[in-house]
Amino acid sequence: MTTSPPRTPPRPARRRASQGRTALYFLAPALLALVVLRLLPAAMALVSSARHHSLVDGTTTFVGLGNYTDLLSDSQFWQSVRVTLLFSLVINPLQVLIALGLAVLLGRRFAGVRFWRSLVFAPIAVPPAVSAVIWGILYRPEGPLNAILGALGIPPQPFLTSSEQALFALIVLMSWVGVGYWMMFLIAGLQDIPQECYDAAAVDGASAWQRFFHVTLPLLRRPLAFVLVADTVANFLVFAPVQLLTRGGPDGSTNLMMYDVFRRAYSVGDINFAQAEVVVLVAITLAVVVVQFRMMQGKGEE
Amino acid sequence: MKTTNAPVPSTPRRLSALRHMPLVTAVVMGVLFALPLLWVLAGSLRPGDKVLAGLDRVSWHSLIPTDATLHNYVTLFRGDFGRAVLNSIGVAVATVLLGLVLSAMAAFALSVFRFRGRGLVFAVILLSFMIPFDAIAIPLSDIFRDWGLQNTYAGLILPGIGNGLAIFLLRQFFLAIPRELVEAARMDGLSWWGVFTKIYVPLSRPALIGAGLTLFTFQWQSYMWPLLVGTEPDKQLGPIALGTLQGQMVVDYGQVFAAAVVLTVIPLLVLLRLQRYFTQSIAGSGLK
Amino acid sequence: MTSSPSRRTVLGAALGVASAAALAGCSGGRPADGRTAVRFLGPETPETFRAVIRGFERANPGIRIDYTPVPPDQLGDVLQLRLSAKDSAIDVYAVDQPRVPALTARGFLTDLNRIADRTKAAVTPEQYAVSSWDGTLRSLPIWTSTQYLFYNADLLAKAGVALPDAAPADRWSWERTRAAGRRAMDRAGADYALLLEQTDLYYGLQPLIESLHGGSGITGKDMLTPAVTTQGWIDALDWYRTLFADGSSPRGIPSYQLSSLFTSGRVPFFVGGPWNLGAFAGLKDFTWGTAPQPKFAHGRAVTPTDSWSWGVNPYAEHPEAGLRFMEYAALTTEGSLSTVEASPLIPSNRKAFDRYAADLADKATKSTAGVATIMRYELAHTAVSRPRSIGYTQFETVMGSAFSDIRNGSAVEPRLAKASGELVRTWERLR
Repeated sequence: MTTSPPRTPPRPARRRASQGRTALYFLAPALLALVVLRLLPAAMALVSSARHHSLVDGTTTFVGLGNYTDLLSDSQFWQSVRVTLLFSLVINPLQVLIALGLAVLLGRRFAGVRFWRSLVFAPIAVPPAVSAVIWGILYRPEGPLNAILGALGIPPQPFLTSSEQALFALIVLMSWVGVGYWMMFLIAGLQDIPQECYDAAAVDGASAWQRFFHVTLPLLRRPLAFVLVADTVANFLVFAPVQLLTRGGPDGSTNLMMYDVFRRAYSVGDINFAQAEVVVLVAITLAVVVVQFRMMQGKGEE
Repeated sequence: MKTTNAPVPSTPRRLSALRHMPLVTAVVMGVLFALPLLWVLAGSLRPGDKVLAGLDRVSWHSLIPTDATLHNYVTLFRGDFGRAVLNSIGVAVATVLLGLVLSAMAAFALSVFRFRGRGLVFAVILLSFMIPFDAIAIPLSDIFRDWGLQNTYAGLILPGIGNGLAIFLLRQFFLAIPRELVEAARMDGLSWWGVFTKIYVPLSRPALIGAGLTLFTFQWQSYMWPLLVGTEPDKQLGPIALGTLQGQMVVDYGQVFAAAVVLTVIPLLVLLRLQRYFTQSIAGSGLK
Repeated sequence: MTSSPSRRTVLGAALGVASAAALAGCSGGRPADGRTAVRFLGPETPETFRAVIRGFERANPGIRIDYTPVPPDQLGDVLQLRLSAKDSAIDVYAVDQPRVPALTARGFLTDLNRIADRTKAAVTPEQYAVSSWDGTLRSLPIWTSTQYLFYNADLLAKAGVALPDAAPADRWSWERTRAAGRRAMDRAGADYALLLEQTDLYYGLQPLIESLHGGSGITGKDMLTPAVTTQGWIDALDWYRTLFADGSSPRGIPSYQLSSLFTSGRVPFFVGGPWNLGAFAGLKDFTWGTAPQPKFAHGRAVTPTDSWSWGVNPYAEHPEAGLRFMEYAALTTEGSLSTVEASPLIPSNRKAFDRYAADLADKATKSTAGVATIMRYELAHTAVSRPRSIGYTQFETVMGSAFSDIRNGSAVEPRLAKASGELVRTWERLR
């Protein structure tokens, strides 16, 4: 398959151009797929966010930024922005830290570790409709979780039926689903750390904590960067548990932006308006991810 | 990993206690995560009308059904569920294979070559996975309808193969492969395709499994999309078949739980098998 | 060229990808057995329609019905998106009856006026009305519905409470039902007093509100003006809020899981639809009975009604064959009866309805003694349809959140006022 002719090292000036062309061949299939399957429909959504469709007379009109100004004057929208930011602020550090802890624990070798890893990973494979049923029952005010809390001497909690607790109850559910998944990427990263690095640290007499902070963490920075960014994006876009368990309530306390989009696009049927909200959501996600990249760059990440 | 084992102990007694700490903690974590799933498994073995009754009170009976029966599974597979699961597997496998080739090639280009516009391409890839698929599913289904991809397996598979997340993941891992290795291989006359297939791919198995996982879960859980591109009964996918079990008026949770067990166990078995590739890769190759 | 081999292989890989996709696309044709395939979309399990499809195909050898079930929660969304894209791969689809106006306004329902006379003759007048909009028949009614009060006789006897009577004239009040349920909690160890199957759903709450003369919630010439802050709305929802606040009904359990609390014998009263008759038939652990749905002591008797119609997609590939199938299911006695074989809903077809009611009376057990009488009475005297408005979908969504918040303890008046404002904004955007 690879019958490459012998060659002399190319001259630096030509090298860059030739590399550019080779890079294009490698990139073309994926770029084509991304442009057609993601960017093109996204552009269509952007166009549609500047339109309005009347259900009374069935006409579609161009309204420019009209949907956006409507959105910005909608108190429900602002509430969902606040809920989404609070949610992100709590769930992302929580999930990344737990996933990291689990990865360090289950990245070791001992009897049956593959099996235990699989169990921790398992929840991501459970269809959301079923995990919603399970957690809906767990969280019943008279349900099993409160029975366990009661046995520990803790008074019963309202969980999903209270506007103070519902969001945090969803965060626990989503972390149960997600941390095993993110853990797998970090375990993959741990496998790439050369043994010699640990050996050298051991020779220097470093303690386990020192080795973790001075060897493991720096060498895990790229997989960690991936997990942080991917998890952040995933959490901006998640909505199935909200749709299945709380529908944004009680009192809008779990009205995440992506659920709000889903509700407007599908249940209310105001697609143009929903697309405007998607554009805002993507802009917020983008801003947060750019900040994350900046922060990582500050720590030597490319 | 060998050297991340317990720290140098001060006394021999502490040694034995600490040696088993990881195992004990791992077991506790594994059980904690799996407990709700054991519930589902137990529920799926109960008669349909007893499933919830067994679930909403804590007792040993909620985990170990005394009246176990395979009835739910029999009924489930007598219907269309078996075919739906096979469809899901087919769609997921095709997506993973195609998606991995595309993503790995793109990640290779991004991590090895220096060319003008590399930053732009990377930005496009990042942007592509920040766009919520459920939001662009609406215009995308219009495009697919124009192209006659309705009711086709291609219509189900294609949206899964353009996965910016998988590219991003592989790029992060490819960046860790030492440049000297590439230089040396090029000096030996290996083509770029050779560098890709003979060096990058074999050295990145854990990352490839991770990317495969990403591609897989996208398809395994896809729900709104198959409904939008309109699938005929014989191309129905697993999650949709599960959704339709929750009928309009009466829900048979016995069957719902049995379907959930089937849909959960399949990826778990695959993952269990694949983990033997989760060994040290670059370090194991003896490079620095 | 230094990179020529790699270019060839890369292009080859890309081509391979493209051709694999194209091949997959080719396999998408329908099996050609010479029959016209009518594609039918609905929210029920395939078993529900097996009988009617078999019956129709036997009578029409040239037509095949391909039924695709869509998960009930997504049916509305899927139809909305696929129909607005002029999708020809849907011939016949199930229509939630209060959505007939909106679907008509969007041009998603074929005009069926040419069979209006035959339809009028075959189905009940109420069902004809809800299947039409603006004087035009837009769909054919298949089922209607009502609600009953199911009770656990053993629990009530243990609590020393008299059993509710099956005669509509002796209908219990909501107040009395709740008090009796509380007694069963205190004296017979029941977990809760009363369960409403349609928790948080307008279908289940409209009868409470209209029992207190609160109105449907929608007014105006074009039925796009909210009226959800009337005294009747406030009082009915205050009662609803208290029901959950004092633990008479469980807060955190979704509606479709409630029947399992009743069947496990832990609650004395359960208000639910006719499909429960089939699900409860096998109950052996306790004695149960059926009574009319309660009303408020100072209110009028109101019960919910309506169910599903079927319509023809204007862009359908096979509209004629599709219509033939609908006529069989809606206008023939035999076809209509076969739609209720696997799902005990109430047929909209008059003759089928009579046979169905007679059958219910014949097969009645001690538990279902009054069911046929109650059903006939409610549908004739107390049934109130949901409001007919092109904004019904939005109304149902917005009010659903409000009901759910009130169930979880939000103060009634401000929450209804908020919902009213939301409706004004949402409907304004429809124009």
